[in-house]
Amino acid sequence: MVVLKRLSKAYVRGGTLVTALREVDLEIKEGDFCAFVGPSGCGKSTLLNLVAGLDQPTSGEIILDGRSTVGFSNAEWTAMRRETIGIVFQAFHLVPALTAEENVALPLLLRGEGRRDVMKRVDEMLELVGMRPRRSHRPGELSGGEQQRVAIARALAHRPRLLLADEPTGNLDSHQGAAIMTLLKTLAMAGRQTVLLVTHSRHAAQTADYVWTMQDGRLVARAERVEEAVS
Amino acid sequence: MTVVSFLTVLRLILAAQVFQRPLRTGLTVIGVALGVSASVAVRTANVDVLRSFEQAVLTVAGPTTLEISGGELGLDEQIMTAIRQVPGVRSSSPVILQTAVITRGDRQETVQVLGLDLLAEVESRGFHLRQAADRRLEAMLDPNTILLGKGVASEWGVSVGETIDLQVGPGLTTCRIVGLLEDATDRTALWSRLAVMDIAAAQVTFGMVGRLDRIDLVTEKDRDVEEVAQALRAIVPPTVTVERPSSRTAQVDHMMRAFRLNVTVLSWVGLLVGMFLIYNTMAFAVAQRRREIGIYRAIGMTQARVAGLFLSEAAALGLAGGLLGSAAGFLLASELVKLLSRTISDLYVPVGVGNGLALEPDWLWRLAAEGIFVGCAVSMIGSVGPSMNAARTAPVRALAPGDYEVGQRLRVGALGMGGFILLVIAGVLSTADPVDGVPVPGYASTLCLLAGLSCIAPVCVTGWRRGIRQPGLQSTMGGIMRAIAIDHAARNPGRNGVSISALMVGLSIMIGVLVMIKSFRNTVEVWVSETVMADVIVAPSLWLRGTEAGSTGRSLPGSWSEVLSSIPGVAEVDTYRDVRVTVQGRRAAIVSRDLRIHARMSRYWVRHGDSAGRLVHAADIDGVLISEILADQLGIREGDSLELVTPEGARRFPIVAVFYDYATDGGKVLMDRRLYQSLWRDDLVTVFPVYLDKGADLDLVRERMATRLSEVGGRLPPLLISNAELRKEVLEIFDRTFLLTYVLEAIAVVIAMLGIVNTLVTSVLERRREFATLRAIGAGERQIGQLVLWEATYLGLIGIGLGLVGGGALAVLLIEVINKQSFGWTIHMIVPLGGILQAVGLAAAATLTAGYFPSRWAGRQSIVEGLREE
Repeated sequence: MVVLKRLSKAYVRGGTLVTALREVDLEIKEGDFCAFVGPSGCGKSTLLNLVAGLDQPTSGEIILDGRSTVGFSNAEWTAMRRETIGIVFQAFHLVPALTAEENVALPLLLRGEGRRDVMKRVDEMLELVGMRPRRSHRPGELSGGEQQRVAIARALAHRPRLLLADEPTGNLDSHQGAAIMTLLKTLAMAGRQTVLLVTHSRHAAQTADYVWTMQDGRLVARAERVEEAVS
Repeated sequence: MTVVSFLTVLRLILAAQVFQRPLRTGLTVIGVALGVSASVAVRTANVDVLRSFEQAVLTVAGPTTLEISGGELGLDEQIMTAIRQVPGVRSSSPVILQTAVITRGDRQETVQVLGLDLLAEVESRGFHLRQAADRRLEAMLDPNTILLGKGVASEWGVSVGETIDLQVGPGLTTCRIVGLLEDATDRTALWSRLAVMDIAAAQVTFGMVGRLDRIDLVTEKDRDVEEVAQALRAIVPPTVTVERPSSRTAQVDHMMRAFRLNVTVLSWVGLLVGMFLIYNTMAFAVAQRRREIGIYRAIGMTQARVAGLFLSEAAALGLAGGLLGSAAGFLLASELVKLLSRTISDLYVPVGVGNGLALEPDWLWRLAAEGIFVGCAVSMIGSVGPSMNAARTAPVRALAPGDYEVGQRLRVGALGMGGFILLVIAGVLSTADPVDGVPVPGYASTLCLLAGLSCIAPVCVTGWRRGIRQPGLQSTMGGIMRAIAIDHAARNPGRNGVSISALMVGLSIMIGVLVMIKSFRNTVEVWVSETVMADVIVAPSLWLRGTEAGSTGRSLPGSWSEVLSSIPGVAEVDTYRDVRVTVQGRRAAIVSRDLRIHARMSRYWVRHGDSAGRLVHAADIDGVLISEILADQLGIREGDSLELVTPEGARRFPIVAVFYDYATDGGKVLMDRRLYQSLWRDDLVTVFPVYLDKGADLDLVRERMATRLSEVGGRLPPLLISNAELRKEVLEIFDRTFLLTYVLEAIAVVIAMLGIVNTLVTSVLERRREFATLRAIGAGERQIGQLVLWEATYLGLIGIGLGLVGGGALAVLLIEVINKQSFGWTIHMIVPLGGILQAVGLAAAATLTAGYFPSRWAGRQSIVEGLREE
């Protein structure tokens, strides 16, 4: 589902060249639930941003669903995100002006889906994340856990084949974090989605099928269990 | 923190802000600069025109301490003998000051010709003679010789010994140039723009044998000038004035006061709109730098210093805007001064149309300093609210994570109520009387109206959201981007309210002034078509040049009446004489004509009764009709009597009717020609309104008139203007007068546009995270652009709605209060739908154009950086 070939990313910050990612080679199969762990600044989020097309690599190639993204225009990346990718952020990033149900409907409306389909799918997703009773509330009226549930519903509403989750439990307490990871895992399995999870949380990483450890912009080890990766 | 250390901190912060936000800093500075430029340009042009006039008066006056003037009717030269006998009069000089047109081939230009006693005055008035062909004074005293200003000669490429043609009144004179004039000092270049003739030659050339325009006196140094003036007033006829030369400038200043005041006030609109722009910039700066404010407060900066910090930032923007605006203002003024001089010459007195600014450097520095001060003051006033808000920010709250707007919740309801109260006050003020002839309550009412609507703008921003969109998926389906845009706009009522206000003010001014001008134009058009019924107007060749033509350039011999009457096809010939006088201290014109002919053939717009009946009645009882302006100024009406100073002494005339008149903002007194001639002994005629027989061929009769008049009137034929041509000319003068208004209006609208751009750029900057999120979940660049455009549309719609309300109310204020109190005209209001639609279309296009660039920019922002924004 995701193939990275010698993927690198460097940028200039304060006049200094910083290499965030160094020639990463990786293949993630369809339906895999893969976690990336490592210290801050090791390149985890950069990797996710590149896979989502939110940022452009300095060199290397990203192949998504068998398509090379080299030379993709902004419009092609937009189409890729609309069709294939769903993203969950640490800070939820819900649109404050919209209610929970409107936020969930957002990716469907951006794709131009029909009214009836949107309504049906929004109902379904809110039901799945347990947010139907709070559907008319705006983000400011929801707790962190509730906001992240809505964000997950939004990320999955358009049935993406690839779900990217960047520290989804980073702004939540341990209880809410565990609940969110369970929900994420359940929904991803039900939808047969491939999941790339970036996390600091050991508990969150435990949800994954396998764990990649990163350091200084490189993938240094793959482990089947988080304990192995951390050790 | 000492003042010195605070100033160091201030300098560091200011530098950081300017360089970190160059776009918004640039937009704000340009907005202030535009506002300042309009006000500096109008002020500079006004000062320049008046200073030029004053300098012209004083330079030509030379050592003169008193002037004796007969106005348009001139003076009998015999009076000089009596004047010389008055104690304290050291010397007296006869003067003729008329305007002629120099003609060579197709080229024509007016020039002021001064008739002086050359024997006595050469080298004493402030001019030198250069390149005199014949230094002997006798040569210069010859008729048909002229001394031409060096500047005029060089522009025309003529030199000593050559001849030029001078058009004067109905005549054409060929004059030989016998010398060139140049100024005795470098301070002025006035004499090099004039022409001088000997007084006797001038009397012949201008048809004023035995008459003078003025007598210039030099009084004894040890005598009080006012005392001598009193003695002179006792011996001159009652219609003759005795004044110091400098008082002419004061009179002109007073005459043009209403006109200049209205233009000046209009030039301030740009500053008002610029103030909104500053408010917006500073409000956003305070919101965005909430955390920074928290840090300053936490490390010991006092509330006053925080406020001072933002006020200083605003002052710095104002300083930059003031500098730029002053420079731009001078550039604009050099064009404006031509427009203003032309308008003032059309309407009031000839002030001469120079080439660009003629102000001394001292004045320019002073005006530039004023512009810079205004820029700083406007900026600081505009930033008082945001600065106070910054000072009041609690450090704990400022340092806590959260939304920008949390710290500046707006009490929209209270503000709306305040707005309503201001509107009520505006209504009350609109009914108040002017102060010393100046519509101060009218201006205050306008300010309250615009301020009231500005206070209501935030209510509309939040209120309309409820009307347009109920939260919920059903309404979102109509357009997700629209929903987000409207919601975002409604969450920032303060800042968006200010942008809407800027647009509202711009549009209100556009619509208000448009309705006023169109109504006025329509009133004048109908008035001309209903009161000017003559088929042909026979006028002096310079008549259409208005006051520029001088008095002799605007009169014809009365004997032409019989000549014209004898031409086949002519039914009636009226004799219209228009002479400027002072009526009870106010500038007015005495108009005389054959009232019986006018009653039969045409009409006046009388306030009560029928025109023909009143005209005949006035002729029967030696009464007068007066214009509504004069009636209002003097507080008199039909049935009262009016005292006029005639050459025969003061006399009272019964007022038979009051009529509407739009030819001048001075008053008019209309009387029968027979009565006028019996008192003023003036046989001249300004124009002959000629009525043709039914079915007569206009072109044929005109041709006959031209032929016949050329036989009796000299080499230069008079103007033979058809009714349609006259109407066209009247409307052209009207349109030229209001051109300046449109220029100032356009500046205000451009600043309002900058306000919208600023708001949208701010909005984009503020919402980078939101846009990045939308991009991350699948929104395309175009969709983000649409979102910004929707916001622009939403703000634009509210601004346009309020602008229509404001424009309508402003139109009523301008027509019924400000114009009425300033000039006294009754204007019949019309609603120019087409023009209003154009103004609305322009405002809508301006809003969308202003939204276009931020919308493009928004879509291209980095997604990753946007997601990192707090």
